[in-house]
Amino acid sequence: MAEVVLNQVVKTYGNIYAVNHVSLTVADGEFVALVGPSGCGKTTTLNLIAGLIDISGGDIYIGDRLVNDLDPKDRDIAMVFQNYALYPNKTVFKNLAFPLQMRKLSKAEIEAKVMSAAKVLDIVHLLERKPRELSGGQQQRVALGRALVRDPRVFLMDEPLSNLDAKLRVQMRTELKRFHQDLQATVVYVTHDQLEAVTMADKMAVMNGGFLQQYDSPKNVFDNPVNMFVASFVGSPAMSLIPLEAVSHGTDVALRSPEGWELPLSAANSRKALTSTTAKVVLGARHSTVRLHKSPTAGAVPGTVYTVEPTGDVTFVQVFLGTSVVIVSLDPSVMVEPDQKVWIEFDQDKIHLFDGATEMALAAA
Amino acid sequence: MSTLTQTSPRPRPRPKKPIGGWRWAGRGILAFLLLFTALPMAWMVITSLKSQLAALQYPPQWWPEEVTFENYILLLSPNNAVGQEFLQYFWNSLYVSILSTILGVAVAVPAAYAFSRFRFPGRQMLFFSVLLRNMFPAVVFLMPLFLMMKWLGLVNTHGSLILTYLTFGLPLSIWLLKGFYDNIPPQLEQAARIDGATRFQAFFYIVMPLSSPGIIATAIYAFIMAWNEYVYALTFLNSKDKLTLPVGLQRFFAEYATNWPGLMAASFIMSVPVVVLFLVLQKYFVRALTEGAVKS
Repeated sequence: MAEVVLNQVVKTYGNIYAVNHVSLTVADGEFVALVGPSGCGKTTTLNLIAGLIDISGGDIYIGDRLVNDLDPKDRDIAMVFQNYALYPNKTVFKNLAFPLQMRKLSKAEIEAKVMSAAKVLDIVHLLERKPRELSGGQQQRVALGRALVRDPRVFLMDEPLSNLDAKLRVQMRTELKRFHQDLQATVVYVTHDQLEAVTMADKMAVMNGGFLQQYDSPKNVFDNPVNMFVASFVGSPAMSLIPLEAVSHGTDVALRSPEGWELPLSAANSRKALTSTTAKVVLGARHSTVRLHKSPTAGAVPGTVYTVEPTGDVTFVQVFLGTSVVIVSLDPSVMVEPDQKVWIEFDQDKIHLFDGATEMALAAA
Repeated sequence: MSTLTQTSPRPRPRPKKPIGGWRWAGRGILAFLLLFTALPMAWMVITSLKSQLAALQYPPQWWPEEVTFENYILLLSPNNAVGQEFLQYFWNSLYVSILSTILGVAVAVPAAYAFSRFRFPGRQMLFFSVLLRNMFPAVVFLMPLFLMMKWLGLVNTHGSLILTYLTFGLPLSIWLLKGFYDNIPPQLEQAARIDGATRFQAFFYIVMPLSSPGIIATAIYAFIMAWNEYVYALTFLNSKDKLTLPVGLQRFFAEYATNWPGLMAASFIMSVPVVVLFLVLQKYFVRALTEGAVKS
């Protein structure tokens, strides 16, 4: 296994930057998820690491080798594709054997390695079948087996679970995590599903528009999103973002809504709000940190229930505060009705404040 | 699940489809077409088995009273002049057809692959200009090509025919194969390249086997076209030992005008390679034409 280092990596198509000066280090044995909406450059980044597309600028190291100009076959990597890319005309055994044959291993060695990988993945009984005779989950295992069979330095995975049905996806997620723990493998994993990233990865790299937005542990990304994009992308349901205006009353700062209500900020939050480049400040709050009252309460702001979505464990309620929406999670025993008047209270220790102009998170000066 | 348990385990009698008039009309048309195409061939075979005298009888013998294979023996034995001549034509045809087939596949496969996989300047224009040849009747190019061949010093060589057939067969071959390569996900090659293959190995070991129905179909097409071509063979070749079967056969007609059974035997032998090729490989041919046509 080896570490992967991206240094100011750029990929352009004409004037379009698909990957824009991305730098990140994947430590040896680390599981890193590249997440972002479609078209954010995550798959392009993965393909650059794999060598499937040529790099336009910057450097990529695998281990201590600069691999910018190396062919994929010389980078000693393995890749699992979204559509698995199993060779349809070869049996499962031959699919697994192909990477070993290409490396000119002896027949006995190939046989031994294929069998041991097949045992790990519990696909020994499938070895003589063709890929089209396998279920989606089985194909997924074979694809993983083909990556596993030759001890690559890095595993690259391009949305490997997105073609599976929901139940199988959760199961394979657990297995992939276990597989990473057992092998201590370096994994770079591309997904658009932030939940996959949060549950499996040691670190997640959130990308948008070709830029790396934030690269940190899932917990840190969740707790301290650097900007509004990351805040709204990570977490489900998404963080509620409410555009407001900062007004100062002496040393204290309050956030005023277009409707006229004011939310006084704590001293710490006031200091943050004062660092905003303009008076526009966006308040961010996760559903679990917001409280809903059915009668006017001090420090709470008025709103109207829009929809009520029971999920069983919790009930998600969308509340309109004037023009912006706040999502609140409630205990299912609490009953609210659409169009009901409610009062929303934010936890001052857990709200996020963003600069309304730059969209960056505000930190105390 | 509940609906499953409710249905009776006894299979219901299958309702018989009413056989309408349209159905019978369709069958009638098919039967007529079959007779229309098969009868001349049947008559060719029957005549070839007759003696010279029996062939000229009127009213005709629907089935030869005396089945004889002497015409075939005459044509296929290298010990007499007729046989020598015929076998010469046969080999000439085989040589020209096989060579233009092999060269056609060798050019069409990489060309189609490049059109399908690579983006290069002028790709669209080149791809459509490939079709340009097919927009004009073949005879239009007869004189220009003849002059070119003369200029190249290729007149009265098999090379002139091979080159010509190549240019005629390639457009369809390239288009057909490109459809095939478009349907093969590029991830397969990417996987192969990551698994340790070079670009060429990925193509050779993974992509080419998957496109084999297309390759076989284009090969059959190229072979049949070269095997049956008459006008160019007649124009480009003039020495007797170089002639291909279609032209040679026509000379046969002239020289042995009255020997109908002999001619029919020669015609039959000429159609054998194509029929055999088609029967053996027809499933690939059908697969290729349908698969190339429908994008998944």
